[in-house]
Amino acid sequence: MSPLLAEEKKRITPKRPRDYVAWAVAIVIVAALVWTAVTNENYRWPVVFSYFTTRTILNGLLVTLLLTVASMGLGTLLGLVLAVMRMSHQRPISGLAQLYITFFRGTPVLVQLVFWFNIAALYPHLSIGIPFTDVSTPVDVNAIMTPMTAAIVGLTLNQAAYMSEIIRGGFASVSRGQHEAAESLGMSAFTKLRHVIIPQTMPAIIPATGNQVIGMLKETSLVSVLGVADLLQSAQAIYARNFQTIPLLIVASLWYLIMTLVLSVPQSMIERRFSRSTRARLTPAATAGEPGAGQSVATTRESLL
Amino acid sequence: MNPDGTIVARKLCKSFGRHQVLRDIDLTVAAGEISCIIGPSGSGKSTLLRCVNGLETVDRGVLQVNGEDFGYVEKDDAYHAVRPQRLAEQRARIGMVFQQFNLFPNMTAESNVMAGPVLVQKKNRATCREQAQQLLARVGLKGCGHKYPAQLSGGQQQRVAIARALAMEPTIMLFDEPTSALDPERVGEVLAVMRDLAGNGMTMLLVTHEMGFAREVADEILFMDDGIAVERGDARELLANPREKRTQAFLERVL
Repeated sequence: MSPLLAEEKKRITPKRPRDYVAWAVAIVIVAALVWTAVTNENYRWPVVFSYFTTRTILNGLLVTLLLTVASMGLGTLLGLVLAVMRMSHQRPISGLAQLYITFFRGTPVLVQLVFWFNIAALYPHLSIGIPFTDVSTPVDVNAIMTPMTAAIVGLTLNQAAYMSEIIRGGFASVSRGQHEAAESLGMSAFTKLRHVIIPQTMPAIIPATGNQVIGMLKETSLVSVLGVADLLQSAQAIYARNFQTIPLLIVASLWYLIMTLVLSVPQSMIERRFSRSTRARLTPAATAGEPGAGQSVATTRESLL
Repeated sequence: MNPDGTIVARKLCKSFGRHQVLRDIDLTVAAGEISCIIGPSGSGKSTLLRCVNGLETVDRGVLQVNGEDFGYVEKDDAYHAVRPQRLAEQRARIGMVFQQFNLFPNMTAESNVMAGPVLVQKKNRATCREQAQQLLARVGLKGCGHKYPAQLSGGQQQRVAIARALAMEPTIMLFDEPTSALDPERVGEVLAVMRDLAGNGMTMLLVTHEMGFAREVADEILFMDDGIAVERGDARELLANPREKRTQAFLERVL
């Protein structure tokens, strides 16, 4: 007889065979991958390590980061303008923004990049000047549309289309009642946006923007087709000379992986912070007994500390 | 005579597309008076209330709040919409309490109450904080100022919303079904705050389904159905002896 009463006995769920099988399968797959990476000499790990921090690769890394920052920054600014246009009550304005978004989201970014690089074939000369006057400066499009310019223009214009939809989604997530409450207090449109609406759009906009940055970092590798010396192009330039294709692609991949991992740390912190503020919102609030009988929940601001 | 705290509407009309929601509504609220608008849902009572502080525009008719034309100026043969800045000034004198509270979730209760005086009236922050604490105490939420709306119950949120509206020192308070979104056991605490306000001579116009409350505190009741002001009169008299058939039928069902 057990000395325990029935009410005190632990409840146990027996492990089933599939719990062990899952582990076994995962271990076998990882072991096989490590085994082949170590034993297959075609990987040429010594070559990978010898090129990992060479000047060409590091320069390429810098170009990749520069492209990411530049097109993300400019793309977000333009995206904000597009989002404001898209939300306009004036049909022609919102229509223009919609046309832009449709076009830039509906065609592949690789095609757009090549297109911008060859834009001189369409418009060989631009003149910058005051309309309807003789004051103008002719510009040779071929001269200004270097691979780097084409890359930044192409990535920026594409990114703007996506960012405008993210920003618009952020504004759409704020309820009509918030606008009404602010207006009924007599707030001006600017005060309302600055203090009430925009702070509430951030939980929707910031995590999505973080994802865009990580996506953009990898997307920049497309500019190698234009001959911009980014990370991928730098690796390609080296293996074009020494035919160490696989090792150099591994070098590039590892750097991309490191950069995305580094970026994903702040990204997941941001996501956790905003999901926590949503959770606080869902926590059952105060019960009986006034005043201030509310359950103590970590507030958004406190949880930041 | 000081026209502050008065509402006058004459032959007010309003349509949403082809659907006319207000048909020639007449309404007079004197300073310090408490008026209730009752009626079935979709009767236009909320729309009427929202017109009074410009959340909806009026198509035709006269609307004067605090003794002046609201949102428009009469010039020659038409009413011309005023500039947004002028509309905001007029709105700042009218307090509004919503069914869904609409507190700013990114601000603490205290910051919600301070929002109007600080951001709109540009008053001194420290003075506003003191005033906010007094107002929160008045609605029975002393010591809750540091909490965010998400940490408060519905009844507490609605009382913060009332304090937020009062912080602007309005001449008129509008209530749009202030207790409809609350748990039944939370209704009383909000009504108690409103009763306190009514006792202090605030002009109040409210849309409500709380017939008991209307009978107790209201001076006048307006019964609306299908965009028409069916019957208007002394609160107790109208609830006890409604003249119109439509009013009788409605009251029989809700009382």
